[in-house]
Amino acid sequence: MKYSEIKIRFCGIAGDGIVASGKILAGACANIGLHVMVNNIYSAEIRGLGKSSATIRFSTSKLYSMGDGLDLLVGMVSKESIIDLRDVKVGGNVIYDISTVGDVAEEDSLVSHITPEIQGHGLPLKKLANEATGTNQGKNLVAIGAISYFYSLPPDMFIDQIKSVFAHKGEHIIDVNINAFRLGYEYFREHYPLNNQFEIDKSSEPRALTSGNDAIAKGAIDCGLKFFAGYPITPATKIMEIAAKELPKLGGWTLQMEDEIAAIGAVLGAWFAGKRAMTATSGPGLSLMSEMINLSVMSEIPTIIVNVQRGGPSTGLPTKVEQGDLNIALYGGAGDSPRVVMAPSNSEECYSGIQLAFDIAEKYQTPVIFLSDLFLGQRIETVTIKENIARNRCTRKKPTSEQLEDFLRYQITDDGVSPMIVPGEPGAVYSTTGLEHSVTGNPNYESDVHSMMTAKRFRKFESMVADLPHANILGDETAEIGIAGWGSTIGSILEGMDIAKKKGVKTKLIKSIMIHPQREDLFREFFASCKKIIVPEMNYQGQYAALLKSRYGIKPIEVHIPAVEPVSPLKIAQKIMETNSELSK
Amino acid sequence: MSFLSKKSVLEEFEKAKASKTKEWRDNLPTWCPGCGHFTGLHGLYEAAETLKIPPKDFVVVSGIGCSGRFPFFIKGFGLHGLHGRAIPIATGIKVASPDLTVVVVGGDGDGVGIGGGHFPHAARSNFNLTYILLDNSIYGLTKGQISPTSPMGMKSGTSPYGNIARPINPTTLALAYGATFVARTFSRERDMVSELITKAIQHKGFSFIHDLSPCVVFNKDVTYNSLNSVTATLPDDHDVFDRSRAMALAESTDPIYQGLFFREEIPSFDDHVQKVKDGLNQPA
Repeated sequence: MKYSEIKIRFCGIAGDGIVASGKILAGACANIGLHVMVNNIYSAEIRGLGKSSATIRFSTSKLYSMGDGLDLLVGMVSKESIIDLRDVKVGGNVIYDISTVGDVAEEDSLVSHITPEIQGHGLPLKKLANEATGTNQGKNLVAIGAISYFYSLPPDMFIDQIKSVFAHKGEHIIDVNINAFRLGYEYFREHYPLNNQFEIDKSSEPRALTSGNDAIAKGAIDCGLKFFAGYPITPATKIMEIAAKELPKLGGWTLQMEDEIAAIGAVLGAWFAGKRAMTATSGPGLSLMSEMINLSVMSEIPTIIVNVQRGGPSTGLPTKVEQGDLNIALYGGAGDSPRVVMAPSNSEECYSGIQLAFDIAEKYQTPVIFLSDLFLGQRIETVTIKENIARNRCTRKKPTSEQLEDFLRYQITDDGVSPMIVPGEPGAVYSTTGLEHSVTGNPNYESDVHSMMTAKRFRKFESMVADLPHANILGDETAEIGIAGWGSTIGSILEGMDIAKKKGVKTKLIKSIMIHPQREDLFREFFASCKKIIVPEMNYQGQYAALLKSRYGIKPIEVHIPAVEPVSPLKIAQKIMETNSELSK
Repeated sequence: MSFLSKKSVLEEFEKAKASKTKEWRDNLPTWCPGCGHFTGLHGLYEAAETLKIPPKDFVVVSGIGCSGRFPFFIKGFGLHGLHGRAIPIATGIKVASPDLTVVVVGGDGDGVGIGGGHFPHAARSNFNLTYILLDNSIYGLTKGQISPTSPMGMKSGTSPYGNIARPINPTTLALAYGATFVARTFSRERDMVSELITKAIQHKGFSFIHDLSPCVVFNKDVTYNSLNSVTATLPDDHDVFDRSRAMALAESTDPIYQGLFFREEIPSFDDHVQKVKDGLNQPA
């Protein structure tokens, strides 16, 4: 067969080198200019019982999601891989370890569950790994060797990658791993000589790989991040690790605090002292930060909180994806507590979006909650990021020399933004508070003052609209079916729209990194042009749909997916087809 | 003669008028007459005066409670934040801008109740902060409920049958947490309060002052009179570099010692950060 796109999953138990398999395969494909997306799934336990898998999708054209069925499943372990058979496409393939088939009971054996629609290929993974490395390690490289032959992917691209991935482990480790790769390659050439062809464009340039978490950290650092405070939490910790390593080199610092309240508190302190600061967390941490977000609103000290969403509520599903934190991001807190909520849909937007978040926070003196999710944060994908290091950054509104004479930190202004000074700079001093206050910052509980100050805090959000990026409308402008989506679900929606288009159904999508505030004019215009509106998202309640309904008065078809895995494009396509048949009734 | 006698109050008033701390005074304090917190506030004015801290470089961070109002009474930058969270906010300010003088002020409920989880980490990190805990053994701003430092048996609106838990001793906590400057003061002793706050701010590293600051309105158990009868200055021969001796003296409840219990000169957080940065900036 000829392929221009393949999806492979390595399935094993923690410690099998599953993540490394994904890394080598993805790195090799990106090096020869293919588009790649990798999703690792693992359990919350580090070793032992935990099953782990790496799914790699690569293609000659751009990828927006992890897609649907598998072309190839590599079962590095037997029993744990059985359940993944259901994800293999009709006509797809399975590689199983022929050297351990007799070791388990028949009902636990992967090979005995392979149905006739799927082609099984035995490969002595354990035996060949032992031959090559003298240990059980190296099964992953044996499998990659077989894959290289099976899809006619040139061995050189893998050899180079093995050398670079294992460079820090020394010559010997590189040699035994290359040896394992060769044994796998030779075994398949000998036993399954009828192989497939993958189309490679030899002229393509290598592509860069990044994860959403990496892109957020890099974006923040490139736009002046000087202080990071956090508390380790899956799946956001990577952002903190990058900040911890990089900030000291740039005159900044990262603090690991005693809890998330302390983390956001320290971030607020750093902004008060005039530095760009950030924290990153997940749902449980965001819950703890609610009161400090309130303080940021009231005292008008800027803050940036990255929330890499995982499954909830409570400790929930630490290693699975969900978009369930929109409500707490939008509404979590006491009183009338406006905040900016943003949601990037891919790694490129993680990079550029976090920079926009900093500018908004700084200019409008407001908390910004940046909602990524586990899938977007951890998936590795090929990207084209326009690096933006020397960008013209927003600065704070500073007082004029006249204003300094009788400095009013909370001066009432047309745009709601008051001048803000920094401790250490001469001119004036002030105190701020989470109590309601007058224009000076002194506590004041009068009704008129409270109304005036609340209106001022909300007025900033009206002023902000002029600075917001446009909402993007993708797909076919003439379509009657419109889709509104947010965050990483956008990728699956785009591919779902593509599947529907091939079946003759036109759709269009409105997407915006801004959840609140939004360019309401553009959304209204879009919704007015649709006969049916679909809002798919990864949560049970339809949190984004609820926002859109109350804001725009629409009655969308809601698709609620309480997710543990990224949304399937086929599922979106099905919904589009259903909606289309209702329309044509 | 009671501390609150008319003569004593007038004397204090004259003394306050004569001091040179006007430059650091802002709004008039809103506390009840006789509140122990006036002494702590005055101590902070005097420290700023003695150390000539420019108001632009002076930052006072507080939590919520009667002591939380400090920032509004001081000319300098102030941040009146959340209940129990003054320490992390101050940490962010100090790490972002190490040249500022950052003082944290809070009460017993704030510091060893709701915010009790922050204190140990600031102490062990040896951030260059001064933390003044004004201890009145009561929740005053909510009109008199037991606090973490209230004595056993103390009755209040939320403990009508008497407090069942033993009180926390913030001085011993600071010593156990690894604070590098630990003192206890009594708001009756104005000069000692001023002197120790000044020394605490001068100290390089995390300095802690446990100021016994009675609530004259709500606390009928821990009062000026009750403390008068048990407080005593530390023995003259106390070695301030001896942590275990300091701990033993800090544990004593009769007498309750005041003075500088412990001091240690080790690199502060800022020193460690500088060392890391210097190492990174060296040519490879």
